[in-house]
Amino acid sequence: MVREIGLPIRFATSFSEHPTDAQLVEECKRGNLRAYERLYEQHAPRMKSLALRLLGSRADAEDAVQDAFLKVYRAMAGFDGNSALSTWMYRILINCCYDVLRRQQRAAEAPVTREPAADSKVSLKIALERALARINERPRLVFVMFEVEGLKHSEIAAILQVPEGTSRNWLFEAKRDLKRILTETSR
Amino acid sequence: MKFECGDLERALAVPDLMPEAREHLKTCAACRREYRLWSDISTTARELHEEWESPALWPNVRAAIMAGQQAQRKGNRFKMRIWGVAASLAAAAVVVAAVMLVKPAMNRTAPGTAGAPAATASKVTGDATFLTENALAEVEKNESAYRKSIDRLAALAQPEIAKAANEMTVNYRERLLLLDSAIAETRASLEQNRYSVELQKELADLYHQKQKALEELLARDQKN
Repeated sequence: MVREIGLPIRFATSFSEHPTDAQLVEECKRGNLRAYERLYEQHAPRMKSLALRLLGSRADAEDAVQDAFLKVYRAMAGFDGNSALSTWMYRILINCCYDVLRRQQRAAEAPVTREPAADSKVSLKIALERALARINERPRLVFVMFEVEGLKHSEIAAILQVPEGTSRNWLFEAKRDLKRILTETSR
Repeated sequence: MKFECGDLERALAVPDLMPEAREHLKTCAACRREYRLWSDISTTARELHEEWESPALWPNVRAAIMAGQQAQRKGNRFKMRIWGVAASLAAAAVVVAAVMLVKPAMNRTAPGTAGAPAATASKVTGDATFLTENALAEVEKNESAYRKSIDRLAALAQPEIAKAANEMTVNYRERLLLLDSAIAETRASLEQNRYSVELQKELADLYHQKQKALEELLARDQKN
């Protein structure tokens, strides 16, 4: 888990227009709040979408993203640059999503994944959304990251800390199960 | 090898469909449907990406970060207070050690002043506010060690004092100058009356104040 380390906050006004990841990390480590805001602007949209697919509601997705950014802030001093900044952030986000899922399970709340409104002619998109909720967790995660969010297998492998082959295999498993479910429901 | 319907799933495991599978799809409608669904899953998945405005999210993240920072600062202040108390206790221990050394020496010398060595007898008047030679040597040794520790602390704080980047640092610098002046005065008085317990206590107290001021200054420097 991430280390809990706080940093002094600075409100730098001068900031490179297109900072590299290394510059952003450096600025974040110096406590530059503007650098965190830049990180947020760059990654939050995709992080929200990914969290939405894992958690099923926008409110939960936003909570997970907020938690993730706070953990990124606390752990930034310990970020050693061995992995890409985005990889590290997505890994934190996924852990936050799992935390939310665990809380949901403990609270025995209604379905983890949002149920789209019933329709006489269910489109493939809605059917796919429903089917996603029924497949195994890891294949679902890889499917969402690869097919929905457009991450590469190399990135997914780094985020999940598994070999690339495993990521490809989980994607295949996800699509195979989705196809089976969609075929069954269309009958 | 002849490609059959049952081979399709295996064929889909690789991103590029093998030529035999492509040939099979031309002639098998069921497998074509399966393959189309397979492709549609990927195409449709891209539509599941959602973006929406969250105007409160960044302000919340920012507020959470700042709240975390404040909590961290409070924690640091608490630690510094604990450290200050520990330092006070250490200083008090020096004084207590000095007094403990004085008392037995006085007990030895007070009743039979006639039998005591001349040098000691001349210094000990039976008044508890004065030290013996041995006790004084011990106190001066402790004071010297304490002063050296504070000098090391002062050396650490020197860059911050020299910069005096803000009003708070200027205040600390002035306070430290006053303390140094008071220490110098007390030391000068002690030169005149080296056996005074009161003056030794006063000097120990001044050193303690200086130590505390330097620690506070260094803690502020670390936070910034």
